[in-house]
Amino acid sequence: MTVEQSAAVLADLRRARRKQRVAAIHWVDALYQVYVTGIVSVVIIVLVSGWVGDGDVSAGALADVRDHGPAVMGLLVALAIFSGLRAGSRGGPLALEKPDVRHVLLSPVDRGVALRGPAWRQLRFLTAVGAAVGAVAGQLALRRLPGNPLEWLLVGAAFGVTVVGLGFGCALLASGLKLPGWAASLVGGLLLAWAAGDIVGSLPASPTSFVGALAIWPVHVDPLGAAGPVLAGVAVLVGMRFVDGTSLEAAERRTALVGQMRFAVTLQDLRTVLVLRRQLAQEKPRSRPWIPAIRRHPHWPVLHRGVRSVARWPISRIVRVVLMAVIAGLSLRGVWHGTTPLVILAGIAMWVAALDAAEPLGQEIDHPGRTDQFPIERGVVFVRHLPITLLVSIATGLLAAAVAAAPFGDGVGWGPALVTGVALGMLAACGAVVSVVQGAPDPVDTLSMVTPEIAGGNAVAGTLPLIAARASVRGIQDPPPVPAAVNVTMVLTGVAVLVGGWVRFRDDIHGFMAEAAENMSPTKAAERMAEERRGEEEREADVLAESRRIAGLDDDGEDQGAGAAKRPPSRQARAKKPTAPSTPGVRGGTSAKPIGRRRDQK
Amino acid sequence: MSDAPALHVEGLTKAYDDLIALHPLDLEVPAGQSVALIGHNGSGKSTFLRMVAGLLDPSAGDVEIAGFDLTEVEARATTSYLPDDPVLYDDLSLREHADYVSRLHGGDGWDDYAESLCERLGLAERIDDLPARFSRGLRQKSAIVLALVRPFSLLLVDEPFVGLDLPGKEVLLELLDEVHGDGAATLVATHDPAYVDRVDRSLALRDGEVIFDGTASVEQVLHLVGG
Repeated sequence: MTVEQSAAVLADLRRARRKQRVAAIHWVDALYQVYVTGIVSVVIIVLVSGWVGDGDVSAGALADVRDHGPAVMGLLVALAIFSGLRAGSRGGPLALEKPDVRHVLLSPVDRGVALRGPAWRQLRFLTAVGAAVGAVAGQLALRRLPGNPLEWLLVGAAFGVTVVGLGFGCALLASGLKLPGWAASLVGGLLLAWAAGDIVGSLPASPTSFVGALAIWPVHVDPLGAAGPVLAGVAVLVGMRFVDGTSLEAAERRTALVGQMRFAVTLQDLRTVLVLRRQLAQEKPRSRPWIPAIRRHPHWPVLHRGVRSVARWPISRIVRVVLMAVIAGLSLRGVWHGTTPLVILAGIAMWVAALDAAEPLGQEIDHPGRTDQFPIERGVVFVRHLPITLLVSIATGLLAAAVAAAPFGDGVGWGPALVTGVALGMLAACGAVVSVVQGAPDPVDTLSMVTPEIAGGNAVAGTLPLIAARASVRGIQDPPPVPAAVNVTMVLTGVAVLVGGWVRFRDDIHGFMAEAAENMSPTKAAERMAEERRGEEEREADVLAESRRIAGLDDDGEDQGAGAAKRPPSRQARAKKPTAPSTPGVRGGTSAKPIGRRRDQK
Repeated sequence: MSDAPALHVEGLTKAYDDLIALHPLDLEVPAGQSVALIGHNGSGKSTFLRMVAGLLDPSAGDVEIAGFDLTEVEARATTSYLPDDPVLYDDLSLREHADYVSRLHGGDGWDDYAESLCERLGLAERIDDLPARFSRGLRQKSAIVLALVRPFSLLLVDEPFVGLDLPGKEVLLELLDEVHGDGAATLVATHDPAYVDRVDRSLALRDGEVIFDGTASVEQVLHLVGG
């Protein structure tokens, strides 16, 4: 089949599918999604805008931007290339549909033709996003830096597109050349390290710094910055040239996982996203654990199970946790020196690490069928998983503390750092446990107070001991730094205890609250009122029957002597008659009529 | 048709880290031969078929189909793969699927043969329905139509009877016999020991290694796979 024939058949298919898709679109849903995206975008812009502030930077700061801006922006470029290479080594960036892999890529059509279409469409979308984000970032930069709005808009958009192009092109190239994961990590990692070294001035200018120079053109025009868009264009074209070499194995694995991950993201199902991301990255537990199994029968099987799980951590997970600890530690140093917003970064980094620490618990929650077969309550099993999560997370926190207090530059004192490390690890574990146990928010569950990722924000509170110690050093409060940090940690321990209690009794609390909520619902109230009314009717009927019996009258007002057969119907018989349907909501019909009163009036 | 074997495999291996799913395997299937691939779960049958189909990257070894390297377009043109998990578009009807797959392979699209396949498999009434609304069995039958509606000289079939009702299974057996009669080589991975009575050759796998290659009886197969 020629390239032209392949293109024609594929074009026909796309036309037919587009027609079916357009017919199936729910326009109201689509408009709602646009509306929600718009709202979220505005909120993010307002928040970031507030964080950036309004005042012009000082002359010294402007000089810093000129000197170090390209290197800092170059780090962003290096990160995009690193991510692109890593994604490409795993079959990305394309997210094809499984039937396309099975029917199109296994057919004798030109694979380049078949793959370039989806690749261009994906690039088109990413480019638009990159341009929009870049343009907004440019406008935010304008609030502090000199220049005119149009310049910042255009330069920001151009830089965004460049970053996207370089990342996407490198991903296509790595995928087409079937670059092994280790090679992608090595090349990308070296570039990343070079860019980081350039920022601190210990290495000569990184190539990504030249690309980064474009981002500050409104402040300082460096012609080398023009190399960025050219390089991005070349990367995309070369990537497109080699896209037909994409591995079908990787593409097929990716098809299913990316689709599921998107769905999980829309449901805010953090645990599923985490598990799918690991599958996408082919992050599998080691078949041979780092620590050999203890031969004797364990006294605490749940704890033992947790230790076995941690002992099988793959090297990539260990590297990630250590990296998160380093980020948290460096952030703590920044907080100590006055950049308080870095508590957010420290908290998030520790929370991400703690999500890995909570893996044994997550596995238990992923397999409820298995947990339900244990002869103990789920809450008890979950609680017994907490010690290992806490231990690993606190160990990570202590590593972060070591980075924070490391004797280079102006570090944090060892005392406050270690206390903060413990508190940060503990609170990060609490956040991770809440995120994992809570699962995806139920749209009809009024008891779901927070989404899983917001629950993870608990970890930020773990930095409070450092803030307290800092206040003490600055003379704002009395106790010395270490006791100040310890005092706050004691209070935070209460939070950990509460989280433990919540995990243990969550099912019971949930059941109780659900029952209470149901009882308070209008439907339930209407049913209860109907029940009470029915009882009242029966009591009135009994009283009426009794008074008639005393008066010697039958139902029709005749003498009782006319025959005992005309006695009022028995209670049971009457109970059958007004069988008003217990339909919820508005009630009417027989049971709503005041039968007893009418008879009294008569 | 050239004299090249329908399938020639040399040292084909698949490993996942330290787990070897398929040990180095050498195999030659002459044109027109029908082969049953038997073995217990995890023996490597599906891994082997998916590698020959091009869906899995071999860790080592070479695959040639009708004399063409697996990476060449001609190899794809001559190989049809019927998977155990039917993969279908949600937004194309069965007729559109068959039309599209046929055209992708240089055919004329929906034709009498496609229609007769649908009729024989009991899909005549559902031709214009979307497979997303089909049951597992109907989806499997749709996959059979798509595997056979296009030209091929090597048919790879993975657990074909899963999800099929008895009439469907009988029709599939007839179709496999017809395909074989028309000169195509077939390689069918199955748990059904009775199928070996219908083929020229049986290949038994255990833990990724070939433990038998030849003509086997049902009793032999049951013994080999531990059934």
